[in-house]
Amino acid sequence: MWKTIVRRFLIMIPQLFVLSLIIFILAKNMPGDPFTGLITPQTDPARIVELTEKAGLNDPWYVQYMRWVGNAFQGDFGLSYTYKRDVADLIGERALNTFWLSLLSVLLLYLIAIPLGILAGRYQNSRLDKTIVMYSFVTYAIPTFVLGLIFLFLFGYKLEWFPTSGSVDVQYDPGTFSYFWNKIYHIVLPSITYAILGTTGIIQYLRSEIIDAKAMDYVRTARSKGIPMRKVYSKHIFRNSLLPIAAFLGFTITGLLGGSIFIETIFGYPGMGELFVSSILSRDYSVITALVMLFGFLALLGSLLSDIIMSIVDPRIRIE
Amino acid sequence: MKKTKWSLIALLLSVLLVLAACSGGDDEPKTEESDETSSEDTTKGEPTSENSGDLFEMAVTHEGEPIEGGTLQVAMVADSPFQGIFNWELYEDNYDSTLMEWTTNELFETDENFMITDKGIATLEVDQENKKATVKIREGVKWSDGEPLTIEDVILPYHIIGHKDYTGIRYDSEFQNIIGAEEYHAGTADTISGLKKIDDHTLEISFKQVSPSINYGGDGLWTYAAPAHQIADIPVGELVENDAVRKNPVTLGAFKIDKIVPGESVSYVRNEHYWKGVPKLDGVVVKVVPSSSISVAIGSGEYDIVQSFSATKMPEIQDFDNITILGRTELAYTYLGFKVGKFDTVEGKVVTDMEGSKMGNQQLRQAMGYAIDVEQVSEVFYDNLRERANSLIPPVFKAFYDDELAGYTYDPEKAIALLDEAGYEDVDGDGFREDPNGQPLEIKLASMASDATAEEIVSFYLQNWADVGLNVTLTTGRLIEFNTFYDMVEADDPEIDIFMGAWGTGTNPSPSGLYGDADPFNFSRYTSEELQSAITAIDSAEAFDTEYRAKQFKAFQEHIEEVATTIPMQFRYEIFPVNKRVKNFSIDYANEYKYHLHELELVAEEPIAN
Repeated sequence: MWKTIVRRFLIMIPQLFVLSLIIFILAKNMPGDPFTGLITPQTDPARIVELTEKAGLNDPWYVQYMRWVGNAFQGDFGLSYTYKRDVADLIGERALNTFWLSLLSVLLLYLIAIPLGILAGRYQNSRLDKTIVMYSFVTYAIPTFVLGLIFLFLFGYKLEWFPTSGSVDVQYDPGTFSYFWNKIYHIVLPSITYAILGTTGIIQYLRSEIIDAKAMDYVRTARSKGIPMRKVYSKHIFRNSLLPIAAFLGFTITGLLGGSIFIETIFGYPGMGELFVSSILSRDYSVITALVMLFGFLALLGSLLSDIIMSIVDPRIRIE
Repeated sequence: MKKTKWSLIALLLSVLLVLAACSGGDDEPKTEESDETSSEDTTKGEPTSENSGDLFEMAVTHEGEPIEGGTLQVAMVADSPFQGIFNWELYEDNYDSTLMEWTTNELFETDENFMITDKGIATLEVDQENKKATVKIREGVKWSDGEPLTIEDVILPYHIIGHKDYTGIRYDSEFQNIIGAEEYHAGTADTISGLKKIDDHTLEISFKQVSPSINYGGDGLWTYAAPAHQIADIPVGELVENDAVRKNPVTLGAFKIDKIVPGESVSYVRNEHYWKGVPKLDGVVVKVVPSSSISVAIGSGEYDIVQSFSATKMPEIQDFDNITILGRTELAYTYLGFKVGKFDTVEGKVVTDMEGSKMGNQQLRQAMGYAIDVEQVSEVFYDNLRERANSLIPPVFKAFYDDELAGYTYDPEKAIALLDEAGYEDVDGDGFREDPNGQPLEIKLASMASDATAEEIVSFYLQNWADVGLNVTLTTGRLIEFNTFYDMVEADDPEIDIFMGAWGTGTNPSPSGLYGDADPFNFSRYTSEELQSAITAIDSAEAFDTEYRAKQFKAFQEHIEEVATTIPMQFRYEIFPVNKRVKNFSIDYANEYKYHLHELELVAEEPIAN
C-alpha cells in the first residue's frame, strides 16, 4: 500500500504541471490586466505602460511561465497585484479563516445528517421518514443566499443571538482566550447555514444504503442468530452503509479549504471563496494561479485520501 | 387521507419558501457597477466642494445633550475585504482611503470650489513668474506619537513616489512636472533637485510648468505628509509590506489606528496630539458590512454613519425614523460615446475620421441623444437618485458647470426630424432606417455588465432607438464584463460604434486627459482645433483668472454638446445614512466632516434603533 501511495504522489507531479500550464495560459488570455482597473482620468497612460513592463507582463507567456515555475519551486508565488502582499501570506490568512469555518460546518453537517439518514432508513415509510425526506428536499431546493439572509435577519438582527458580520470583533487581542471564543462565536451562524443546506446527499445515501442492507442475507443471518435488532443496526448495517460516505470523506477533508463565496459574502467573512472570485475579476494573476494550483493539489490529495479511507473501512478493498 | 394532508403541508411549505425567497432576494448582493466606480473614482485629490444636493440635507441637525466621549460605530459597505494599505502614497483601493480619512495626513484644506485654502496644516503660495510654489507648515503640529511635524515629512512623499522602486500609479506625467523628478526616477540623482528646503517649516518646489490646477493640488504638488521619523529608513520597495504601513502608521488626523482585523474592521482612538484640539469622541470603529444586510443593520441601529452606501438601496431605508439621510451629487458622470476615429499608438495621437466612421454624421449622433429616455430610467430604476446630465462637468463644480446648457433631453420627434433631415430613411420597409446611401445601418453598442437591472436598462434604450427607426444591437450580443469592455473600447474594436461608460472626475474637472488630442482615454477619438484650444486654455497661465477659466470651460461644454461625440447621460447622488445620535456631521464639500472630526459628538450611549 505504501508503494501505491508514493506512486500516486509521483503521478501528481505531471498532473499538477499540466494544470499549471493550462491555468497560466487561460489566465493570461483573459482580457485586461491587473492595471486596467486602476485607470482614472488623472492616470497617466505612460505610467500604466511602464508598470506593465516592469511587472514583466509584456513578455511572451512562456517566458512568464518559466519565471513563475522557477520561483514557485523555491516556494515563492509572487506578490499579489491587488493586495501588494506575498501570495503565500495572503492565502494563508484566508485559508485559516476558511478552515475553521469549514471544519465547524462539516462537523455540524455530519452531526445532523448521519442520525437523520439512519432514522429515515430504519423507519422507512414512517411519518418520521417522510418528514426527513421532505426536509432534505426542501433544504436541497433553498439557495444558500436565501437561507443565509433569513438566518442573518432572524438570529443576527432580530434576536441578536449572533454577530452579523466579520470573523472577529476588533477589540480583542489575538492570542487571548476571549479572542478565540469571539472567533468561534462568529462562525456559528454561517456554519449552521452551511450544514443545514448540505445534508441532502448524506441523508439520501445513508437512507437508501440502510434500506438496501436491511434485505441483505447477512442481516437475516444475524437476526436468525438471535441478535437484537438494535445491535444489528449499530454493528452490522451501520458500518456497511457508511461506505459511500467514507468514499467522499477524503474530498470533504481537502474541500475544507475551498470556501463558499455565498456564505462569505453574506456574512462578511473573508475567506478563500471571496479571494478566488475577486482575484479573477481584478486579474490578480499571481493569486489566481496559486489558488488553482492549491485547489488542484487538494483535489488529487482528496481522491487519494478517499481511497485510503475506503481500504481501512472496507477490508475487501485493497489499493494496488 | 394521510397522504393528502402531507402533500398539503408540503405545498404550504413550498409557498412559504417561495415567499421567503422573494423577500430574501431583495437583499441579494448588488454589485451596481461596483467595478466601475471603485476603479475609476480612485482620485488623487480629495473631494471638496459645495454641491447642489437639492434632494437631500447635507448636514445633520440632531438635538440633544452630548454624552462624554463615546465610540462612533461606522459601517463601510463592501462585499470584499479592504486591502489595508494605510499610506497615501501607496494605497490604490478607495476603501483604504475612506479608512484613512479618520487619521488623515492631509496638509491642505480646500474650499467649496476645491481650491486650497490657508486653513490647513500647510499653506501654499504660487510664484507664477518663476514657476515655483512655497509650502509652509504650521509650527507646533505633532504626529500621533508626539513627534513634531517637520518639513522633512513634507519632502519624503516626493522621494517615495519618484523612487525607481515605487510601484504605484502616482509617478506620472504630472509628477514629472517637478524639476528633477525624472532624473531621480532614473537613478541619476539622489534627490529631486526641484525640492528646496528653506527652513524647518518651509519648502520651495520648482516646476517645469505652473497652471491653475496647482491651486487644486495638481501640477505635481503632493498634498500629504509622511512620517519621516517612522518610514524614511525603510527601502521604498519594501514599504508596502511593512508594519508601518499595514499595522501602526503614525498619522496627523483626529484619530489614530488602534487595532486592525485585516480586511474587516479598524478601531481608532482619539489622537491626543491633534493640532486642532483633542477630539471629543473616545474613538471610532469602522466595520466592513456586506451590501446584502446593510439596510437591516441600519434599521436595527447597529451603526452611526454608513459610508459607500449604494443609492439603489434607498427604498429599503427611506422609511426608517432612526436616521437622517444625507446626500450630495457625486464627482462623476455616465456618458454615451460615439467612435469617430482611431488612436494612433505610434504617433500617440487621436486621429478623427468623420467621413470614414459609421457614427460620423452629427445629426445622427444628436438624434441618438434625443431618442433615449434617460429621464424615465432615472425615475424608474434609480428613484431619481440619478438625473439626466446636461454637461460633462458635474454641477458640484459650481464655478465651471454651465447650468444653462440645454443638453439632450428625451424628444423622439426631434430625433426623427433630425434623422429624416440627415437622409437616414427606411428604404426597404423593414422598420429600420438605412444610411443616406441606402445601405443597411446596424449600430453596435458596447455596454458594461453589472447588476440585474443593467440588462433591463440597456434593453430599454435599444427599444428607444428602435422607436425612432434605428437598429442598435449589442456588441458581442450581450453586456460586456468591465475589464473586457475597457480593453475593447481602448483598442477601438471595430465591433464598437457606440458605448456607454462612466468617469469619476476627481476634484479637478479639467477635460485634459479625457478629451485632448493625445489622450488614449479620449475614447470617442474626437478632436478638433476648437476643442483642443479650449482644453489648452483651461490649463493655461491666463486661466489663473477664474473668470477666464470658466469661459473656457463653457466653450468646451458647448462645443462637445454641439458635436455630440460624447453625450452626457446621468449625474448620480451618493447618500450617507446617519443615525440620529450623531452631532456635527456634514457632507457639504464647503464644510466637510473630514475637517471637523474632532468636533463629532454623540447624544446617546447607543445608536438609536428604528
